[in-house]
Amino acid sequence: MSTIETINDLHFSEGELKIMERRATRLVFKPLVFSWMAFAFAVTLSWSVLAGPGDNSLVIGTSQEPRTLGGDFLSVISNQAIKTEVQHFLFPDILSVDLDSKDYAVLATEAPTVENKRVRFSDNAKGQRRVEIDFTLRSDIKWSDGKPITSDDVQFFYEVGKAKGMPVLNPDYWTRVGLKVKDKQSFTVSFEPAYYTDLQGGPNAPIGYRPAHIMRAEWEKTKAAADKLDSSKDAEKLNELYRSFFQKFSSPEAINKGAMVFSGPFAVKRWVPGNSIEMVRNKHFVLTPPGGAEKYLQKVVYRFIGNTNSLLVAILGGQVDVTSSVALTFDQARSPQLTSRAPGRYDIWFVPGAIWEHIDVNKFTSVQKVKDLQLDNVKTRQALLYAMNRDGMTKAFFDSLQLVANTWIAPVNPLFDPNVIKYSYNIEQSRKIFAELGWKPGKDGVLERTAEDGRTVKFEIEFVTTAGNAVRERAQQFLADNFKQVGITVKINNAPSAVVFADDFIQRGSEGKWTGMFMFAWTSSLAEQGNLFACKDPVTLATFMPTKENNYQGQNVGGWCNEEFDKLRSQAVVEFDEKKRKEIFSKMQQLWGNQAPSLPLYFRSNPYVVAKGLLNFVTSAYAGGFGYPSWQAWTLGWEQKGAKKLFDQTKYAKK
Amino acid sequence: MISYTLRRLLQIVPLLLAASVVIFTLLTLQPGDPLDEIRQQNPQLTAEQLKELEHAYGLDQPIYVRYFKWLGRVLQGDFGQSRTYAQPAAQYIFSERMPKTLALSGIALLLALMVAIPIGILSAVRQYSLTDYSITFFSFVGFSTPVFFLGILLLYFFAIVLPEHPINFSIGSFDISWNWPALPTGGRPNIFWSDVTEGTINFFDFIGQWAYYLILPVMTLSLIQMATWTRFMRASLLEVLSQDFIRTARSKGLAERKVLYKHALRNSLVPIVTLVGLAIPNIFGGAVITETIFSYPGMGTAILESLTGKDYNVAMAALTFLAVLTAFSTLLADLLYAVVDPRIRYD
Repeated sequence: MSTIETINDLHFSEGELKIMERRATRLVFKPLVFSWMAFAFAVTLSWSVLAGPGDNSLVIGTSQEPRTLGGDFLSVISNQAIKTEVQHFLFPDILSVDLDSKDYAVLATEAPTVENKRVRFSDNAKGQRRVEIDFTLRSDIKWSDGKPITSDDVQFFYEVGKAKGMPVLNPDYWTRVGLKVKDKQSFTVSFEPAYYTDLQGGPNAPIGYRPAHIMRAEWEKTKAAADKLDSSKDAEKLNELYRSFFQKFSSPEAINKGAMVFSGPFAVKRWVPGNSIEMVRNKHFVLTPPGGAEKYLQKVVYRFIGNTNSLLVAILGGQVDVTSSVALTFDQARSPQLTSRAPGRYDIWFVPGAIWEHIDVNKFTSVQKVKDLQLDNVKTRQALLYAMNRDGMTKAFFDSLQLVANTWIAPVNPLFDPNVIKYSYNIEQSRKIFAELGWKPGKDGVLERTAEDGRTVKFEIEFVTTAGNAVRERAQQFLADNFKQVGITVKINNAPSAVVFADDFIQRGSEGKWTGMFMFAWTSSLAEQGNLFACKDPVTLATFMPTKENNYQGQNVGGWCNEEFDKLRSQAVVEFDEKKRKEIFSKMQQLWGNQAPSLPLYFRSNPYVVAKGLLNFVTSAYAGGFGYPSWQAWTLGWEQKGAKKLFDQTKYAKK
Repeated sequence: MISYTLRRLLQIVPLLLAASVVIFTLLTLQPGDPLDEIRQQNPQLTAEQLKELEHAYGLDQPIYVRYFKWLGRVLQGDFGQSRTYAQPAAQYIFSERMPKTLALSGIALLLALMVAIPIGILSAVRQYSLTDYSITFFSFVGFSTPVFFLGILLLYFFAIVLPEHPINFSIGSFDISWNWPALPTGGRPNIFWSDVTEGTINFFDFIGQWAYYLILPVMTLSLIQMATWTRFMRASLLEVLSQDFIRTARSKGLAERKVLYKHALRNSLVPIVTLVGLAIPNIFGGAVITETIFSYPGMGTAILESLTGKDYNVAMAALTFLAVLTAFSTLLADLLYAVVDPRIRYD
């Protein structure tokens, strides 16, 4: 019985009841009609970004937003890959790295080499190498306000980095670097003690620059205030002071007010925090692409879409032309929604990178589990490697677009040795090695042995990785199944990255915080120094294995100590002859391969979606220092607008 | 009433202090610290260098020292600097993020109420009819649908599917062609209020561009809220319609319009007003899932990013503000209850 019928106990007529119903119904439609009218109004005011060849602009989609730009040149406030990528449009390097990982001069007249006498070596009193590198800046380079770029700007960069209590992220560099300015164009950078990596180009390498005529006045005030403070007692105040200085030239507000000038092919026009950075062509930039700058991009917009699913939708909807180095995941780049719409619209490239997925194995003999499972024994690790079907995994999960790793050095690195031992999937070999080590399958199929103290030990090994990382968790399941085939039981112990990468976990292998295998990634840098697996430098006595004695510092988290490797490493970092250095690193890789201190998995490939017709948005693992497609931003352009093709992605990537 | 209000206001002070202690402690106890990102990106840093950085950031001090330092600054109106956004934390939260969240959540709530209240009335007045069952069904579908699912669905439909299916047909010799405009997949327009004050764009263009970007996120939030408020309204009105005073009003011969609007509706809106008062913190707090899906730079994503990025100053500013807002909005809800319902009196 309806309420109306109940109300009709009051004896309203049928007609009156119908009127009451109609009035109640109308109450609904008025707001609904209004709402839809508002929607239609908004739609008719529709406005969309005119992107692409139409107005010679480019929209780059990225999942991260830089927190600062420009003025934060020592990365005191933020140190992000996306910041470096965007800054390639704004501040080209003095010396940069090309697609083939070779140094080339951008703002300098030529790349310094021993042959052109711009690189000189000597030894200091302690027998350490000292290197001096001469640079000459081009005489025609200017800031976006028309003022010339000179050695003053390099001197300014150097002065700020050397300031008392500056919380720099690379204190070792600032301890060793020296600068001598000769004139407005020429200066010499020195390093003592010197490493071969000091000769490499890239962002702020071997030295940076920033507009002294814009920043110096404020810096003098900051320096005067800092001089009154003690660097140890007032460290926090000093930190705030310096951050405040950098903020005045790098925050979105500062950039929008024009507090900064730019030296690159583009200058920031507008930064809408949380949304986009719009950059327009800088008429004062002197490096001209073939045919003239007007035939190349006039506007570039970085569009921040934090959620990668939403970014994918933006690509599918045509609201983004290309993706940055920090954008889609591998799985998303292979998704049918994206690949089915690709023909005629965009290319999807997979650029082999330098991020090395691997499994570190705990080898600290202070941990009982390590002794029980004999993880400190090279044969155990070799047996584990033979049990892993890494080729099958990369084929099944990544269509073989991510290369199986056999060393920690990326195949794209010039130091890579392709002749390192390859542990191909071989279950029989794995079982044979375990048998040699005394392991026998128990009644439940799990390997067991009698330990030295008479206990029966089962091969149950802990396996840690970052929870929530779907790719790693999938790989973990695959490998757990592989290990099961040889009688190994895996105990998965995943946790969020904030937990597993906290100092009190990953660095505490020696205390048994993690006792078995830990799957994560390191970056295989072009400036490779072999620190990942170094134990103790025989010359400097620096330690790289985290233990209580060194306050748990170092990247050698699995605890591998090999004197021969350490000796080779200490020779390699000061070997400036490329050929000899390659030979030393080859020996290191051979030794590493034979000893298998960790279980290499694969090198990640970075997916890029690039709209058809866009030219020179090409990258490789180390372009621009670390795989930035903006490494030669002044050559980006649309074919339809007359740009010329200078670089070919097929040489450095797969589709 | 005044003494009650004053008593409540006095109670708020220790409450907020306790809340700030809890928030600060929980933030500090979460795994990791603000230097995690630096450690991971710069593994070559030695133990001594990391200690110096910890000292520089004040992270080597005990929790209580850091809390009282923070409290001292806050009482002087300084919420500290955002470690990650290179600006004062208060400016980042209150000037940059909050207005956008107010726009999104406020419009969504308004739209939801404008639709839900009449639909709830209709559903109550036509109880157990086909209309009522239909509204109930869609309400259940509405508040059972996860926000992230609805958001992605709307995004996919309006930004991709619809534009890929333009309308093309002919009537006689006339060809009709309509291309659906692709709604933005998120973000906000590339304009500031200063563009209006400087005359670069006009006011209506400014509103129009913002409206365009708000369509999908507002739809996502309001559709789900509509479902909930519809059920509230229906339940509330049904309860009132069964009261004796309604029966008395009708028996006195009052017009149906007056019975529904002046007597039934007013009384049924009492709990709705209270609930709206309690929903105020949510308007300011943002809708983190919706904002994430649509890359909308609001309070929700600001709080999430500050928590995951260990930007303690921003997190404390935002969460403390929400605690203050919750305390005052519950007081406001209680006072409003007394205003709309004369039976309620506080001593």
